[in-house]
Amino acid sequence: MKRNVAVIGGGQTRHAARRHDVNQVELVNEAVRAALLDARMTIDEIDTVLLGNMEFFEGCHMTDCWLADGLGAYGKPGLKITTGGTVGATIVSAGAHHVASGLFDTVLCVGFEKQEEGDTGAILSGVAHPLYGRSMAGAAVGYFAMMATSYMAAWGAREEHSAMVAVKARQNARKNEYAHLKLDITVQDALNSRMLAYPIRMLDMCPASNGACAVILADEKTAGDRCEKPVWIRAMDTAHNEQFELDWRDVTTRKPIFSKTSAARLYRQLGVSNPLDYFDVFEIYEPATWAEMVWYEDLGMCGPGEGFRMIEEGKTAMDGPHPVNPSGGVLSTNCIGASAMLRIWEAALQIRGDAGGHQVPGDVRRALATAYGGTNWTVLTALSRDLDD
Amino acid sequence: MSERVAIAGVAQTVFKPKRVDANYAELAYEAIEQVLDQCGLTIQDDIDNSITCSHDIWDGQTISNIGITDVAGGHLRNEEKMAMDGSTAVYYGAVGILSGAFECTLLLAHTKMSQTDRNIVNNDAFDPIYTRKLGLDYTSAAALQARRYMHRYGISPEQTAGVVVKNLGNAVDNPVAHNRGVFSVEDVLSSAVVADPIRRMDMAPDTDGAVAMILAGEDKARGITDTPVWITGIGTCYDAYYLGDRDLSECMALGRAAQRAYSMAGITNPRDQIDVIELGEEFSYQELLWLEGLGVCEPGGAAALLESGFTRRDGALPVNPSGGLLGGVPANVMGLNRVAEAALQVMGRADGHQVGGVKTALAQGHSGFCGQHHCVIVLQGGKEGR
Amino acid sequence: MNKEPTERELVSIPITVDVPYRFAAGKYMARFLTELRDNGRFIGIRCPVCGRVQMPPRVVCAVCHVKNGEWVKLGLEGSLAGFTIMYLPLTDPTTGKAHEPPFVYGSVRLDGCDSVVDHLIDVEPDVDKVRVGMRLRAVFRPREQRTGDLSDIVHFAPVDNEQNRTP
Repeated sequence: MKRNVAVIGGGQTRHAARRHDVNQVELVNEAVRAALLDARMTIDEIDTVLLGNMEFFEGCHMTDCWLADGLGAYGKPGLKITTGGTVGATIVSAGAHHVASGLFDTVLCVGFEKQEEGDTGAILSGVAHPLYGRSMAGAAVGYFAMMATSYMAAWGAREEHSAMVAVKARQNARKNEYAHLKLDITVQDALNSRMLAYPIRMLDMCPASNGACAVILADEKTAGDRCEKPVWIRAMDTAHNEQFELDWRDVTTRKPIFSKTSAARLYRQLGVSNPLDYFDVFEIYEPATWAEMVWYEDLGMCGPGEGFRMIEEGKTAMDGPHPVNPSGGVLSTNCIGASAMLRIWEAALQIRGDAGGHQVPGDVRRALATAYGGTNWTVLTALSRDLDD
Repeated sequence: MSERVAIAGVAQTVFKPKRVDANYAELAYEAIEQVLDQCGLTIQDDIDNSITCSHDIWDGQTISNIGITDVAGGHLRNEEKMAMDGSTAVYYGAVGILSGAFECTLLLAHTKMSQTDRNIVNNDAFDPIYTRKLGLDYTSAAALQARRYMHRYGISPEQTAGVVVKNLGNAVDNPVAHNRGVFSVEDVLSSAVVADPIRRMDMAPDTDGAVAMILAGEDKARGITDTPVWITGIGTCYDAYYLGDRDLSECMALGRAAQRAYSMAGITNPRDQIDVIELGEEFSYQELLWLEGLGVCEPGGAAALLESGFTRRDGALPVNPSGGLLGGVPANVMGLNRVAEAALQVMGRADGHQVGGVKTALAQGHSGFCGQHHCVIVLQGGKEGR
Repeated sequence: MNKEPTERELVSIPITVDVPYRFAAGKYMARFLTELRDNGRFIGIRCPVCGRVQMPPRVVCAVCHVKNGEWVKLGLEGSLAGFTIMYLPLTDPTTGKAHEPPFVYGSVRLDGCDSVVDHLIDVEPDVDKVRVGMRLRAVFRPREQRTGDLSDIVHFAPVDNEQNRTP
C-alpha cells in the first residue's frame, strides 16, 4: 500500500446479554467516545467515519443513517459496509485503504450489534437461499455440529477437546473486563451443558452479545506526532466463498477453502514460513469450539488433524508458547458486527501491552487476527509493533 | 501503484419494471459478463477485488452478497458489499485503487424492486423509536422536503413537472430506459397524487436491473481502453438523521461532498467547468434542489435555469440527458447508473443520447431518505485528463 | 409497594418487521425446482472447465467463473457426507412448523454430484446408528403434495444393503 497505516486508538463497550439502558445510537457512541479518549482526540479531528453492520440483524434498514449522530458522522464523509460476521475486519480494511490512499489521515472504524433488538435466529435462517435450503436450514449450530462429527471421525478427537477450548475461552474472559461470558467453568461443566446438536453443547457455542467496538486508524506522520504506541497494520487479506458450497464442515476436504487460501496469500505477502515463529499471539474468530481447532490447522499452526493436540497440550493457553484468544474470543463475546473488529483491537492491545488482566506474558511484537462470517468468509489481519519488523 | 484511477468499462442491463425470468444473481451476471467481455478481462487474471452494492432487505436474504459471490468473482477472493447507493461503490473502489492495494476492481450494483414492496422496505429505514410507526417512507419524507423547498423558494408544481417532461423525453433516446415518452406539464399534473405535492409521474418507478463497471489504475486502464474516464474528484458526506433536525431545503451534505470532489478535481466554477451532469432525481423536485446543492446555481435558482433551457440535452449544461432516475433505475443501482451514464458521455458511447464535446462530467447519488448522505464523483476524459 | 426499586422502569417498543417477497427462481433454479415437483427428480449442472457437477444448478461456476454448461440428471441415491443429531426443534421459517427433536440432520452427496444437500436423515438418533459414508436414498412426498421446494423430499432414508450394516 502507498502509505503505512497504524491503529492509534480504540475502545469497546462492556459486552452484555442485555443493554436495556441504551438504544443503538447510544451504544455505538459509547465505543466511539472510548476510542477518542484512548487516542486523546476529539471527533473534529476525525476525517471520515466508517460503519460495519448487518442491517437485518436489528431490523433497521440504513443503520448508518440512524446512527450518524452517535457515530460522529454528521458533516463528515463516510460509508457503510455489510459483509456479515467478517464486517468488523472488512471495515478496518476499508479504513486502511482510506488512509493509505493519501486522501484521509484519520479514520474512525466502528462495528456493533445490538443482538437483543432483533431475532438473531430468525435472521440467521435468512442466510439460506429462499428457494433452496431456507425451509430445511440447520442453523449455525447444525453447521458446526457437522464440522465436529467430521473432525472426530477423521482425527479421533473427543468431546473433551471441545470442552478444553470452551474452558480456555471463558477462563480467559474472566480476566477481560469487557467480555460478556466470564465463566469459572471446568471441562466437566462444559461436558454437562445442554446438548444442542450432537456433539455441540451450549458451552461449545458463542453467545449473542450486545456491544460495539471502535478503532482509529491514522497515517504514519499523525501516528508519530500523536501516538505513543501505534500498532501497524502490515497486511490484510479477504476471501469469500460461494453460497452453496460450505466445505469447512468436511474437515478432510482437499478443495481449496477460504481459510487456507487467505492464510497462504497473507503469509506470502509477509514472508511467513512458520506462523508459530512469526506471530506472538493469535485472536481467532471461533463461533464454536471445534472451529478453533480447525483454525489452528488452516493457519498452519500445526498439521492436519493435530489441532486438538495443541489444545490438549496447553500450547495455546494464555501462558502457553502460542496464546490464542487471550481475550476470551468470540466464544465469550459475540456482538456479530463488532466481533471481527474486536479480534483486531484485542491483538493491538496485546502488542501495546495494554490488555490488563488478560495480557499475555512476554514480548508481543506481531499478532494475527482472523474473522469469520457469511458462507465461509474471512479477513486476516497481521499487526506489528514496529514498522520494520 | 497508481496515482490515478479510471473507469475502463461500463455495462447495464436493459432496465425493466419486472424481470421474472431472472433471479438477482442472474441479473447481476448479465451486466458482469457484458463488462468483462467489453474490456477483454477475466476474473482470475485481471480483477483484484469486487465491490458490490445492494441491501439485505431489498434482496430478501441475510448478508445478501452471499447471493452474488459466485457471479461477482468473490469465491476465494476479495469481495465487499456496500449497503448504500451505488455511487459509493465508485467512491470506495477509487479509494482502494489509490491506496495501492488493488489495480483493477469490478463494481456491481443490483436490485429487483419487483420482488418486494418499496413502501415497507423504505419504512424500515425509519428508526423504531420515534418515526417508523408514523408510517413514513421515502415518498412521504420526500413530500415533506419538496413542500419545504417549494415553499421557501416559491417553486410551483408546474416547474417541478418540467423536470419530468425533460427527463422522460430524454429517456426516449436511451436504449436502457423503460419509463419514457413525450409528455406535457399537464400530463404530469394530472397523474395521481401519491403524497402531496408528489404525483405518480414525479417518482422514479419500480425497476429491476443491474450495472457493472471496471475501475483500474492508470497503466491497467490504458491497457484496457483508448477512452479511460479519469475519476478526478470524489466526495461523500452525512447529514443529520432526524428530518426535524434539518432544514430540508438546505443541502449541507451535498454541498460538502461536492466541495471535496471539486477541490480534488480542480473545479472552482462547476457551471462553467462541467459539461454534463447525471444526478439522482428520485423525485422530480430533487433535480432542482441537487443542482443548487452542487453549486450550479444559487439556491432557489434551478427552476429558472430549467425553464431557460440551460439544462436540456441541447442546452449549455445538459442535466440527465439519459433520462435520469425518472427514466427507471432501481434503488441501490441509482448512483452507479448515474456514474455509468456520465462515463458513457465522456467515452462518447451514450448511444442515442450523446451530448457533444464532453470532457468533464459529474455524477451524484444519495442514500437515506431526503438525501441524508450524498456522494459526488467528477469524471474527466481525454488522453491527458487533468 | 412491596417491590424493592432495584431497576428503573425503562420504555421498550415492541415492533415487528414484516416484509413480503416474491422471488423469481431464475432460469436455473426454476428448472431444478420444476424437476423436483413434477418428476421427483434431481438435476445438476456441469462446469465445462473443471467438470464439477453443481446442485442446485446455477449460472456460473464460482471457481472457474465461466457459464455452466451441461445439465446432468442425477439419481436419488447418495452417501452421507456429514451429520449431527439435533436436540433443538428446528423450525422451517417458511411454514413456522418445527421438526421435533431429537432427529438426525445431515449432508448428502448424491452419486455423480459434487455438491451436498442438507436434509433430515431417517435414521434412529443414536450416534452408533449413523455413519459418514452410509448409503441413502431420497424419499419424496406424493406428487400432489409437492410444491417445488426441498421440503418436497420427506427425508433421506438408508438404502438397505451391506454398506449400511453397522460393523
